[in-house]
Amino acid sequence: MKVLCCLDGTNSEEISNAVKNMLPASSLTIGLIYVTDSGPHAEIERSRERFMRAPQLDPRRRNQMRDAEASAAQDILEEGKRYLSGAEIFQRTGRPEREIVNFAVEWNAGLIVICPRSPRGGGPNIGPKSVGHVARFVLDHAPCPVLLVRPLQRITVSPVPPAPPIPPVPPG
Amino acid sequence: MLLFFHLPVLASTLLVSIIAIFTLVGIMVRPFKLDEARIALGGAGLLLVAGLINPLDALTTLLQDWNIFFFFLGMMSLSALADAAGLFDWLAAGAARLSGGSSRRLFFNVFILGSLISMVLSNDATALILTPIVYTLVTRLRLPALPFLFACTFIADTASFLLPVSNPINIIVLTMFKLDLWTFLRLLFIPALVVIGINMLVFFLLYRKQLKGKFDIKRLTTSANAIRHRAYFRYTCSVLLLVVVAYIVASATQFPLSIVALGGAALLFIGALSWKQTSIRDVGRHVSWSIFGFIAGMFIVVRAVEDTHLTAQFGQLLLHLSGGSSFGAVMVGTAGAATGTNLINNVPMAVVLTSALQSIQHASTTTRLGFIAATIFGCDLGPNLTTVGSLATVLWLLILRRRNIEVSGLDYFKVGIIVTPLMLLAGALTIWLLLR
Repeated sequence: MKVLCCLDGTNSEEISNAVKNMLPASSLTIGLIYVTDSGPHAEIERSRERFMRAPQLDPRRRNQMRDAEASAAQDILEEGKRYLSGAEIFQRTGRPEREIVNFAVEWNAGLIVICPRSPRGGGPNIGPKSVGHVARFVLDHAPCPVLLVRPLQRITVSPVPPAPPIPPVPPG
Repeated sequence: MLLFFHLPVLASTLLVSIIAIFTLVGIMVRPFKLDEARIALGGAGLLLVAGLINPLDALTTLLQDWNIFFFFLGMMSLSALADAAGLFDWLAAGAARLSGGSSRRLFFNVFILGSLISMVLSNDATALILTPIVYTLVTRLRLPALPFLFACTFIADTASFLLPVSNPINIIVLTMFKLDLWTFLRLLFIPALVVIGINMLVFFLLYRKQLKGKFDIKRLTTSANAIRHRAYFRYTCSVLLLVVVAYIVASATQFPLSIVALGGAALLFIGALSWKQTSIRDVGRHVSWSIFGFIAGMFIVVRAVEDTHLTAQFGQLLLHLSGGSSFGAVMVGTAGAATGTNLINNVPMAVVLTSALQSIQHASTTTRLGFIAATIFGCDLGPNLTTVGSLATVLWLLILRRRNIEVSGLDYFKVGIIVTPLMLLAGALTIWLLLR
């Protein structure tokens, strides 16, 4: 089975623990994917349009940004490989949620492993908003099962309050 | 007069208003992805061809505002040439080193750096040059990019009324209303510090989770690596220091700021050519030539509307809404400027308000000053509400969102809608307190 693990720069350890503890080691092909988010590029272009400049940065700046992104992506994937040796690594650029789903289809993934959000994502670890928009999109559109690797939080959910008593129906 | 036919005053007023409204709506909506300059020039051209504005009046208007055009040119050239010297890269690397590996301190340093660059080289430089540099930096450091991008974009406008030269909009207003430097600083420097403080505080609260932790200093390039040619870099720093001093002296003595900006740019350009650091073509690519067409078109359109006395009536309406008090002036001026800036664009809004406020010369000094300060404040800070330039773009982003197409432009809007009204209110109140 092909298992696609989605790295975000902060979750290599959680992902590798989940894969090692929950999945049989044999007959697994592990793939590590990191997607460089193109969102910031779009923001920078929008900002430039506001100031009536051509949306494209000059080549020197564009190359600097691309080099930084490539270097960070390489770092993150190498770190992932240290936790999951033998894994194939894949790097993509675009909207992370779409790239993950599209790649899972292309690669014929049998399982996607993803964290609900980055610890720096800003949202809560548990509750209605604990799944970020990337994980939510992957859950909704994945072509295969998805393993959502939540942080361990032993918090019980509050019990459902009892229904109010139904008043007796008067006779007749 | 329409072409060769004499039109009654009411008919020509109506025609001028229709063309002006269509021009403003066109700038808002940008049909067929036309740029704002073509729309503004189209409106101006229509007015000229239809004989609704005297060509001589149009030319006089443009010639009278030479300071604004040349300031834009000087300011954009200065930023481009400073960038060619590696100044912004050097400053960003220095800010990162000073943060000692702390994400929070780096975030703080980005705000300070953005404020200083906006103050001296204008908001364009922070938003357009510093932002990609900071993005490259935080990407290398494996920090979340979005908080830092937002910091750069927001602080560009938040810090753009520290000095008259911090935003070309200030020059548009100050060309008409010649505030001396002391009055400008008295009314706007402290409010600028207040809104910068609020901006930083709210962002630190919003992004407290993303800013936790440290980064590896070893991933930083040295500040020295940012400098491509030492001698040119030193020369650039010296010229910019001279320009800053000259800006302050020029503001204090009402000397045209555009001459300082152009003079500084010329000195930098001579140095850049001598040390073969850039070319005319390279500098030309960093200048937004369409902005001149946009401003020229807007000046002509507003001049035509002025001739119908509609802007004077708008000014009277503003005065009436303010109740003639300084408090009312600041609140109405701020709300009007900020709203208009988000509906159309801050340049036409500043031009319209500047024209309207000419009709309130009979109001008390504090009321007039209140309106002037509020116009600068609202037009400078207002763009932070949507941060995408116009309401039309926000509406488009909302439509995409409803189609489940995740667009990060809405993230800006969500942040802007939280922090900008707070800053507008706090800044306006501070201006009012300083007026008393």
